Amino acid sequence: MKSKQNSKIWLYVVMLLITVLTVGPFLITLFMAMKSGSEGIYTSLLPKDPTLSNFVTAFEKANFGLYFMNTAIITAIAIPLNLLFCSLAAYPLARMDFRGRSVVLALIISTMMVPFQLYMAPLFQLAGELGLRNTHIGLVVMQVSTAFGIFLMRQAYLRIPKELEESAYLDGANRFKVWYLVVLPLVKPTLVTLAIFTFMGTWGDYLWPLLNSTESSMYTLSIGLAQLSQNFDGSNLKLISAASILTTIPTLLIFIWLQKYFISGATDGAVKG
Amino acid sequence: MKKRTKTLVSGSLAAALSLSLIACSNGEDDKAKGSAKDGELSGEVTLWTASLAGEPFDTYFKNIEKDFEKLHPKLDVVIEDVPQNEMEQKVLTSLTGDDVPDVVNLNPHYMSNIAAQGGLLDLTDAVSDETKDSFVEGPYESGMYDDKLYALPWYLTTTVSWYNNDAFSKAGVSELPTDTKGLYEAAKKVKDATGKPSYFPVINDGNTIMEKMVSIANGTPIVEDGKAKFADNKDLLEFFEATQKMYKEGIIPQEAAEGSIKTGQELYMAGNVSMLEGGVTFLGPIESGAPDVYKASKAGQPLNADDAPVNVAVMNFAVPAKTKNEDAAVALAEYVSNAENQLEFAKTAGTVLPATKKSLEDDYFKNPGDSPKAFGMLEASKSLSRAEVLIPPTENSADLRTATKNIFIQNLQGKLTPKEALKELASEWNKAFEKSDEKVTF
Repeated sequence: MKSKQNSKIWLYVVMLLITVLTVGPFLITLFMAMKSGSEGIYTSLLPKDPTLSNFVTAFEKANFGLYFMNTAIITAIAIPLNLLFCSLAAYPLARMDFRGRSVVLALIISTMMVPFQLYMAPLFQLAGELGLRNTHIGLVVMQVSTAFGIFLMRQAYLRIPKELEESAYLDGANRFKVWYLVVLPLVKPTLVTLAIFTFMGTWGDYLWPLLNSTESSMYTLSIGLAQLSQNFDGSNLKLISAASILTTIPTLLIFIWLQKYFISGATDGAVKG
Repeated sequence: MKKRTKTLVSGSLAAALSLSLIACSNGEDDKAKGSAKDGELSGEVTLWTASLAGEPFDTYFKNIEKDFEKLHPKLDVVIEDVPQNEMEQKVLTSLTGDDVPDVVNLNPHYMSNIAAQGGLLDLTDAVSDETKDSFVEGPYESGMYDDKLYALPWYLTTTVSWYNNDAFSKAGVSELPTDTKGLYEAAKKVKDATGKPSYFPVINDGNTIMEKMVSIANGTPIVEDGKAKFADNKDLLEFFEATQKMYKEGIIPQEAAEGSIKTGQELYMAGNVSMLEGGVTFLGPIESGAPDVYKASKAGQPLNADDAPVNVAVMNFAVPAKTKNEDAAVALAEYVSNAENQLEFAKTAGTVLPATKKSLEDDYFKNPGDSPKAFGMLEASKSLSRAEVLIPPTENSADLRTATKNIFIQNLQGKLTPKEALKELASEWNKAFEKSDEKVTF
């Protein structure tokens, strides 16, 4: 009984430690962001005279209104497109027998190993030729059909018993109906997981949106944050902290909202290869 | 493995971009000049600034746009800002396509890298002698690569020393040191009085130590015709010995092994170091992040002999080779970097010096006020006559900087004796020069 209690105490200690390690930096950033102009950032941990003025200044100075809108638009484009294309592309790779299926899968997965820097110049050229420069869709060409998404969805499809699909065929459903009405609802947690990954990838994407935007009116939040932190006069850490918090809030909210799906979906890839 | 992958990636990237640039350089015939045949500038001309977004710069550049368009009514000027760290990558990538800016704000390293790949327009004949003569010599030279002019200097900062006067007063130190022996003594006194580390040698990516080495050598070349000549330099040996000793005695903080100016700034803000060398812009985050430390800050000449050369950090304007509006691009670069606009920019920024002789004569730089930033600017303008780009741009600069950073840190940590460190560093530099076959002297 006593040893059970002891192990519980240890468990709480470990959990508390992990919480401090993960939440601590976020809280330090928040406290730093709430310090007033006359207060030193290293003089004390907690702000003596808490203020929200840094958030307002950061919002104005980094042009956050426009950049937030751009980021929201591209995220809203990327998530449904990535879910659609990945779930469509993954289905034949999981369920249809055709010559070269494993080669196609290997080719798709191998693209994950090619560093972006290697193909960014041709991609830039291609985006220009396709008229995608300085467009919202152009900013998310990297996110609208990802190899990772295809792999994740394929793994999820493999977990579904084939019998379910076969009985649907017996009831007269065609292949598209089986995919849409039978299979897709069963992989909802994975779809949510992929949506979260796409959200995080698009929301925080930096290099490609920067390269593909030759007009600052198309910049995203991460570029605004970089502009603020690379300011030529050195960086104002209170403003950067405030801007970082502002940038992070949507990600946190989405994660909190969808976290119950996230864990079950994230383990899909580990079940069957 | 990680390093190898990085090398592979950067090598492949450089190769891919170079190939694209070579391909692009054959497209001269396709170049559609925006300017009209009657000589009047027309069309669109785009300028990219580096990390100058937000106020007060937005208003300054809006005025530049408006004024230049007034001078050339058929011209449409577009000014955009790009984060400084990604400027080189963005310019190189844009050169592989057709969306190329017409004027770009680069530092000399980025400029020489892009020029070496054929990405910049040779301005030697495009700019008049009168314009060339209007610039201070050192900053003007920073726009040269391979004996050709590729960029016009815009704004600059020179190295000054910053110290916390409260800590210095507590230690009874009234004068800044001008040699290594003095540096050790002053730093030790401050450390003993405050109980905290006092001196932070800025390393950055190794370039700052290289510049410091040239300043310490004070006129004696440390590299001659591509051969390192400093293995037996007594002054450099003294500096390596002193920094190792200071690190061991806690006069230099442990964090110095990381060595970036940002770390130095954070330690200075927290009162955990009291003396270091940096540009005038060093105080920017201190003013907002540690107002008390800012008020106690004083500036002085760099911690070397009074006649030692001082490094100048220049930002300049270059014209990409694929510009579609060459005449307008050159005209805009000249316009933004003329004496009047440089003076206005320096006043707007508040912590930089202009690169034109005429603007420097303005009373603004002789009596800048009594704020810590103003003291810094005054000290910077005093040393401008001996300021130059101490390390010329070379193809092997990344190798030199990496070797310098690694070996200086090993010296700090006592993993190498100062003599071994200098010998090892000379050997690494020689290898880099042999590889790139460059016969430079500095």
